Amino acid sequence: MDFPTSGTVWIDETSTSTLSDAALTRVRREKVGFIFQSFQLLPTLSVIENVELPLMLAGRKEPRAVAAERLRWVEMEAYADRMPFQLSGGQMQRVAIARAIANAPSIILADEPTGNLDTATSEVILALLRRSADEFGAIVLMATHSLEAIGKADTVVGLHDGRVESVKGAAEVPAKL
Amino acid sequence: MDIFTLFYRLILKPLAHERLRTTLTVLAVSLGVAAVLAIDLAGQAAAGSFRSSLETLTGKTNLEVTSAGGIPPDVFARLAAAPYPLKLHPRIEDYGVIAGAVRRTVPIVGIDLLSEGSSESSGLSDLSAANSVWVTSGLGYKRGDRIRLLTNDTVSDFTVRGVLDNQAEEAIVMDLALAARVLRPGGRLDRILIEAPATRSIEEWQILLRHYLPPGVAIARQGTQTEENQRMLEAFRWNLNVLSYVSLAVGAFLIYNTISVSVVRRRFEIGILRAIGTSRIAILAAILGEAGCLGLVGGIVGIVLGRILSEGAVKLVASTVASLYFSSRPAPISLTWETALWGLVIGVGISLVSALLPAWEASRVTPVEAMARGRREHQARVHRWRSAAIAILLALAAWIASRQGPVDGKPLYGYICALLSIGAMALVIPSLVSGLAQLATGLLRRVFGVEALLATRGLVGSLRRTSVLVGALSTAIAVLTAVGIMVGSFRETVLVWMDDVLQADLFLSPAVPAGADRHPTMSADIPAQLARLPEVAAVDQLRAYELNYQGLPTTIGGIEASVRGHRRRQSFLSGAPAEKVFRELIGNDAVIVSEPFANKHHIRAGDTFQLELGGKLGSFRVLDIFYDYSSERGLILMDRATLLRYLPDAEPSNVAVFLKPGVSLDAAQRAVERVIAGRRVAVVRNRTLRDQAIQVFDRTFAITYVLEALAVFVAVTGVGGALLALVIDRRREFGLLRFLGAANQQVRRIILFEAGLLGVLANIAGITLGFILSLLLIHVINKQSFGWTIQFHWPVTVLLTALSTVYVATVLSGLYPAKIAIGLAPIEVIHEE
Repeated sequence: MDFPTSGTVWIDETSTSTLSDAALTRVRREKVGFIFQSFQLLPTLSVIENVELPLMLAGRKEPRAVAAERLRWVEMEAYADRMPFQLSGGQMQRVAIARAIANAPSIILADEPTGNLDTATSEVILALLRRSADEFGAIVLMATHSLEAIGKADTVVGLHDGRVESVKGAAEVPAKL
Repeated sequence: MDIFTLFYRLILKPLAHERLRTTLTVLAVSLGVAAVLAIDLAGQAAAGSFRSSLETLTGKTNLEVTSAGGIPPDVFARLAAAPYPLKLHPRIEDYGVIAGAVRRTVPIVGIDLLSEGSSESSGLSDLSAANSVWVTSGLGYKRGDRIRLLTNDTVSDFTVRGVLDNQAEEAIVMDLALAARVLRPGGRLDRILIEAPATRSIEEWQILLRHYLPPGVAIARQGTQTEENQRMLEAFRWNLNVLSYVSLAVGAFLIYNTISVSVVRRRFEIGILRAIGTSRIAILAAILGEAGCLGLVGGIVGIVLGRILSEGAVKLVASTVASLYFSSRPAPISLTWETALWGLVIGVGISLVSALLPAWEASRVTPVEAMARGRREHQARVHRWRSAAIAILLALAAWIASRQGPVDGKPLYGYICALLSIGAMALVIPSLVSGLAQLATGLLRRVFGVEALLATRGLVGSLRRTSVLVGALSTAIAVLTAVGIMVGSFRETVLVWMDDVLQADLFLSPAVPAGADRHPTMSADIPAQLARLPEVAAVDQLRAYELNYQGLPTTIGGIEASVRGHRRRQSFLSGAPAEKVFRELIGNDAVIVSEPFANKHHIRAGDTFQLELGGKLGSFRVLDIFYDYSSERGLILMDRATLLRYLPDAEPSNVAVFLKPGVSLDAAQRAVERVIAGRRVAVVRNRTLRDQAIQVFDRTFAITYVLEALAVFVAVTGVGGALLALVIDRRREFGLLRFLGAANQQVRRIILFEAGLLGVLANIAGITLGFILSLLLIHVINKQSFGWTIQFHWPVTVLLTALSTVYVATVLSGLYPAKIAIGLAPIEVIHEE
């Protein structure tokens, strides 16, 4: 979506800076899943259609079956035909996670995924992200200010004014900053 | 914050920033205003052209004497003998054709040079020379030039004795005696202009002089005919004006859309302003001010555009006026301050009215609601069922309006019905859009994939915006369909009618062009000579005269009833067989009248009315009413022998020749041409005459196509602009799609698919409404304005061509918004949230 001002982004041994627009689109479709702070579900599509969307955009066969399976995985299958405005924040974010893993990506980029959620719901979402990494083998790259979220990570990269300040394991991060 | 600062920051700055959207909206307003002004200016010019400057050639006259078929020669003597200090100016007026490489039809005016020559202003001199004419400077002749002039079926040579410099119009002036010899062998005059002293009022003079005139000869204030012509044109101009307002109405939908977008996009700002104490009234005024600005600029551009467009429009309108009403030359177009002001008033007015609802909603926004995060997609609720219920009420009111009669000869309720129908359809559209979209989503997704799904849902998601767009486009399509069906039906009706009435094989008429009020004649011996040809089975002839009936010009004609009874499949409203009706005409003071005449004057079969003909008063019984599409002014027909009793001029205006079965058309035409050799008479075959007639028909309706095209252009441009606004509003969605792996072409397809869906929905609504409006046009508005019966007919090819062109244009209008959508930076638009 963006190009580095310096340095190189490598995905599967390919520098993203060298890719054409079409190739970048392919990378987004096949290798990256996105999760946003404000969920970003399309309000005009039902829950299952939102999950189907990346599959359909990628031209996958049987998108409905895959989407249903992903919804089951986030325990939202009962809400498949609801519209986003009928869901709570936590439910919306679960659907967003189902959408992010729909294409079985190798990387999930999560931008403050719990920023709009209460503590209890955040717990559920963070657990799901953890499971995504564990069960799908995806790398979850999460930007967060939340200590609870940091606690779920394997590696924590500390940033200060846009510069990397530290790279630590989660156990090394103090419980209170 | 004072209102001006608020207005500048909230309204003017964003308007300048969003140049494309502002330009498109201004364009929509300006085209609407331009259409209205162009038609008004053209109508005025076409109607005003008969205010002849030649009227002043004979000085300051104030009364005129006229009579159908000409004023008998003794009338002048009677008036001259009246014991009053009157100045009489007898005139013969006709048209001739100047022979040459370019044949020009010019008015010929015969005046009494001996008495007029002394008039200082006239410029007439050198009166004694033979075959002398004086020409107006516009004709380009100089003193001593020779002119070969075709009048009726005769050619004569004339010498130009002088040029009348102060005359704006083209005309040839000759002495009365010469004009009588060339144009009126019977010695009848066309008009006597009277200069009556101011010792009495015009009305008193009129009453006084009436006693010196025989029945059938009318005296009226000079200029009465001009007023009658104006009155005759009223319905025509009124209908054309109404059609010109369609573009403006379509523009109104688009202003509504622009202002709605503007309000939705500024909700947050409005919320802040309300939170810091700005009043509701100030918000309302600011939003209305935005509409007012768009209307003002659109109005100014529209006035300039309208003046430019009127040049083209006047040619089309004048051609229709000449074919259907009276001989005229368009007067110069005059854009007055009043007209320009009217342009501004309608530009600003329509903008303010269209913006009222969104502005009101903006003023009702509560600060908390407007500033709440994640509410940017907020759209005012669409009350589908309430709208549908109001639509039913409007439809009911429309139906009631359609059953009402004309008001002052105008189909006022017909147009109210049309407006109510458009309103009803606009209110049904939200239900139609969501209903059809929901029904079709599954199918569209299966057939066209994810893009179709997103486009359909996107449109339903912005139901209000979509409905306004579909409303605008469907109104333009409805008018296109309605007028298309009306004109197509009318054309088909005329074709069928021509099949019935044009049964003769050859038609003869003087080579001088005829007009609705011009009936040149040919030599009286021609029909008899033709009848003697061995190839000829029968000859019909028509002698037509101008007649004023109840203050409206019309045409009266004498026909060979015995020939028509056998040879013409004339249809009558009563359904009576033509042979029986024509037989009854013979030997009786009886007439048949055309449908427009009967409708205009509320005449029914069996009625008796009086006509003043050639100085005599006759009482005529109406035998029946016949279908006729040749003249909007109306037609009264009687047997030729009957007409000759009143107007004993035997020269026919037209002759129709029926050939014997098996006779070669070529050979017969050659034989006919031998009979008329040396005379300027045109012989036209049946097929050619029909082709010419249909050409006149098509030319007549050319202006309606131009106006429809303008309305459709406004609508399609508006769809492009509105799609652009839709893209900008939904930029977050398009950014998200890029995150989720949508390729550029997929984004483009979504927008084009939305444009396509808008087109389909607008076509469904437009064709449905268009069908209803076409019934209204055919059975109510046309009937009340012009009095014709038109048989309904679907002009399939024309409609399909027009509608598919509109559809393709609508889809293509999505290309630029698609380009903008592709160019959006996904990270930026997602982070705006």
